[in-house]
Amino acid sequence: MIAILIDGIVQGLQLSLMAVGVTLIFGLGGVLNLAHGQFAVVGGIATALFLEAGLSIWLACPLGILSAGLLGLIVDRTLLVPAYRLHGEERLLLGLLITLGLSFVISGFLDYKYADVALTLHLPTASVNLGGIVVRTSSIAVALISISAFVLLFAFLKGTLVGKVVRSIIQNERGAELCGIHPARIRTLIVVLSTMMAGLAAIAQALFTSVDSEMGGGFTEFALIIAVVGGVRSINGTLAAGLLLGIVNAFASYLIGAYFTLLILLAIVMATLLIRPQGLFARLT
Amino acid sequence: MTSTKRQRFDRNALVAAVLLLALLPLAFGGSSYYMRLITLMLVYAIYTVAFNIVFGYTRQLFLCIGALAGLSAYVSVILTHHLGWPPWLTAPLGVAAAGLTGALFSYVAVRRGLGIIFVGIVTLVFSMIFQNLLFGLRELTNGETGLETRGIAPAFLAEALPSYYFILAVLALALLLQYLLLRSRTGQAFRAISDDDFAAELAGIDVVRYKVLAATIGSCLLGIAGVVFAYQSGFISPAVYSFVSVDIVVLVSLLLGGMGTLLGPVFGAVLFTLLDEIVRPFGHLNVLLYGIFIVVLVITFRHGIAALLDRLFRLRG
Repeated sequence: MIAILIDGIVQGLQLSLMAVGVTLIFGLGGVLNLAHGQFAVVGGIATALFLEAGLSIWLACPLGILSAGLLGLIVDRTLLVPAYRLHGEERLLLGLLITLGLSFVISGFLDYKYADVALTLHLPTASVNLGGIVVRTSSIAVALISISAFVLLFAFLKGTLVGKVVRSIIQNERGAELCGIHPARIRTLIVVLSTMMAGLAAIAQALFTSVDSEMGGGFTEFALIIAVVGGVRSINGTLAAGLLLGIVNAFASYLIGAYFTLLILLAIVMATLLIRPQGLFARLT
Repeated sequence: MTSTKRQRFDRNALVAAVLLLALLPLAFGGSSYYMRLITLMLVYAIYTVAFNIVFGYTRQLFLCIGALAGLSAYVSVILTHHLGWPPWLTAPLGVAAAGLTGALFSYVAVRRGLGIIFVGIVTLVFSMIFQNLLFGLRELTNGETGLETRGIAPAFLAEALPSYYFILAVLALALLLQYLLLRSRTGQAFRAISDDDFAAELAGIDVVRYKVLAATIGSCLLGIAGVVFAYQSGFISPAVYSFVSVDIVVLVSLLLGGMGTLLGPVFGAVLFTLLDEIVRPFGHLNVLLYGIFIVVLVITFRHGIAALLDRLFRLRG
């Protein structure tokens, strides 16, 4: 039972890592990024290519993550500019459509060029015994990666001046602008940070299963669902929703099988949206 | 342009478009491949008109176009298969199911004050649930293989030309309905809501009622197109009504043609069909090309072909 709980928590952490970028970009840029999973896959595929080129894993992973961030930078500075010129719902809509197109561009390109590339990472030992419970080393690694990423993110947001600026823009873009903050630069920073976290999440995923060019759509779906269930502007909410869905998913798959689990998860999401549209954990911001 | 002139222009454009579509089989009638293609084009034109009513006029982002059309089709075909009821009895039941589901989503969404994104996500999740149910309820839906409708379909829908004109008639009725709606008080309310629903509410417009009305009409149209296509094409499967094969195509078509315009949906569906034929030979690259196309389209001209043509005509008139 505890093993399942641990599995669920680890899975939840990894899902939150994927979803937190959606939350950040939406909160800060007012754009719901429908290509988020594709950014993750770009990170994963780039890492695989660097590994193939003979780089060590300690070099290939950071370079892969940077590649995802670099793509984020380019997209933010070119494709999303027309969306940023608009405000409110108009921006949301245009951003939605641009990132939808972008998700096709990235998926189509990867499918065409790198259909046979996949990232799989193996750790030297498969599992360890922690006080009577057998835990997979990949679970420990993913938990460590996700927790340290979140700790760094919270330290950045709460502890630094730039972090304070970020939070002020999330609360009110116009207000922040009036205080002399230039949102565009912060936005670029956050988009790069978010896409890098997506790349990291793909590498974490590669510790469990292989990551290939076709997984972008699925990643995006889960990231969106978790971001929305958690309250799409709340980072704590995203983390909580990811954990909750991860744990429900682990127990339900164990008890009633994967098919009904998916239906239950989707039903939970729909109920949440209809009953508490501000998100389950919106108060925790 | 004055409003009566405007109305006459709209009406003439509408009649001209339907007549042009009616003449299409003369050009393509010989080839069964092109007949199937233009029939499919009409079905997508109806989907797009329906989506235009829901999204273009009342800003409800329904990302369950395929799911609603599929719901109607599956309800009808399953009832016909398992209970032996005739299609003319089960088809209205299917349409009613789609209409009720759409109305319910709209009512709950408006009542709870969900923003455009939330409506999008709720309906997207509904699409995912629907697809999973189709795969899971194997004994009813026959999983990914789908169900044959060849034997149970009305005879005239099995032939190319009669079915083309039947679907064209449905499209013409949908366009007429859209035209009449927009000319009426309802149309004024729709325009006010699409500009700013808060302001519309303050101006005394019953926003809940009009949004639910638009969603119900749109969903019923989706249901009609879905069920007619089910009997016309000879089989139904989850892929026929999937998010990728319906929702995205319809969204792009509407953008291409122009949101909230009378004939935009038809232009869009026609252009998309053309585009699809051009891109088809590229095989693996077509997803990439679609993507580039969508991005360029939404960035460069967001108001669509219909607005462009309208501007040209207005410059002259």
